[in-house]
Amino acid sequence: MSKPFSLDRRALLTAAVTAPFLAVPAFAADPAETFVNENIQKGMAILNNKALTKQQRRDQFEQFLLGLADLKRIADFTLGRYRATTSPADLAAFDAAFQNFAVATYQSYFSKYTGQSLQVTNSTQAGPTDYRVTANVIDPADRSGKEPLEVTFRVRTDRGKPVVTDVAVNGAFLSIAQQAQFVGFLGQNNGNVKLLIAHLADVTADLAKSTN
Amino acid sequence: MPGGATSPEALAANDPYEPVNRQMLVLNQRLDDIFFRRTVKTYRSLPDAMRTGMHNILRNLASPTIFVNDVLQAQPARAGQTAARFVINSSMGLGGIFDPATGIGAPYHGEDFGQTLAWWGMGEGPYLMLPLLGPSNPRDAAGLAIDTFVLDPTNYIHFKQHFWWDAGRQYLNFLDLRAQSFETLQGIERSSVDYYAALRNLYRQVREAEIRNGAPAKGENFPDF
Repeated sequence: MSKPFSLDRRALLTAAVTAPFLAVPAFAADPAETFVNENIQKGMAILNNKALTKQQRRDQFEQFLLGLADLKRIADFTLGRYRATTSPADLAAFDAAFQNFAVATYQSYFSKYTGQSLQVTNSTQAGPTDYRVTANVIDPADRSGKEPLEVTFRVRTDRGKPVVTDVAVNGAFLSIAQQAQFVGFLGQNNGNVKLLIAHLADVTADLAKSTN
Repeated sequence: MPGGATSPEALAANDPYEPVNRQMLVLNQRLDDIFFRRTVKTYRSLPDAMRTGMHNILRNLASPTIFVNDVLQAQPARAGQTAARFVINSSMGLGGIFDPATGIGAPYHGEDFGQTLAWWGMGEGPYLMLPLLGPSNPRDAAGLAIDTFVLDPTNYIHFKQHFWWDAGRQYLNFLDLRAQSFETLQGIERSSVDYYAALRNLYRQVREAEIRNGAPAKGENFPDF
């Protein structure tokens, strides 16, 4: 009886001594970090896939974005105080225009990093269901020693599954800037949402033309 | 709406001079076309190594000013890092052309007197679009003047042609900054419904992030959606 007991003790002692040196992460990644980590590689793979036609890439990127971000929620936010006074028909038209605009904007933006990769570096919790997941844009060809560009994803988990509600580059969040623009535009045009929708369609077409 | 009245949205965005600011943005875009855009395109066509070297030299020259602001913000660890960077990059980095300090654990961080004033509790004041210098506010404009004319130690080195040294260095600073932000600004302009409002908002967000030293934004001022 004494031998197995002493072996067990030795094993426990060995485990206790070596545990700090084992390559086991001290903290598991939170759900937001896992979500971003899994999805951004898919997005970059679509943009890096040279076998796709322009239309195929756009369609696949749209499907990817719809699975990643809550575009309806972002669209509602960007209308600011004008959302409450917009008719349901205009709101539906705005949501559709915003979805096209968001796909074109994010595709145009992330296309600049074709051939590069996004590496998740950390995640912080700003509230019970509010996370900021930070990633660095890594360019394998860059030998300049410059600091990598930092991209932050805001992830909310308050409605069940995690969704991205905003993206920031060097601390500036895109949806917040979009709200400032849309509200500013509506303020100068008597709150005319139809005019904003038409303008968004023009910007979207221009962005789509200049993106591969 | 250049020349018109200030909109309620502009007042809500703490931009009471919006009509003048919008006209100033138009003027700045023309000045940019004349003084920078073509030069920036030529500058961007230079080899990466040359532009990186120039960028490193300009950053290294700014180190003493950053150091003073680190100290004024009671950040001894960051001040030490800036001092170490200056010593390492000025010597091993051949006068700042190279940046070996980053590789040995002393990465760059920026600080300026506008951030120091914010750290000491001063509000930004109304949004301003300055001629040539672009988006700003009274606090950051005053900070830039203090950094340039008071804290920069080269002001206290007397030599002939000092004016041309200052003018040349400032021009290169603008050129470097413009070259670094060339594609970003082009992207913002192309994807903007209102370029002026986009710049105003992005400037504020970036400055607030700099003042927080990169800590995540949260609290009352961060929208919950």
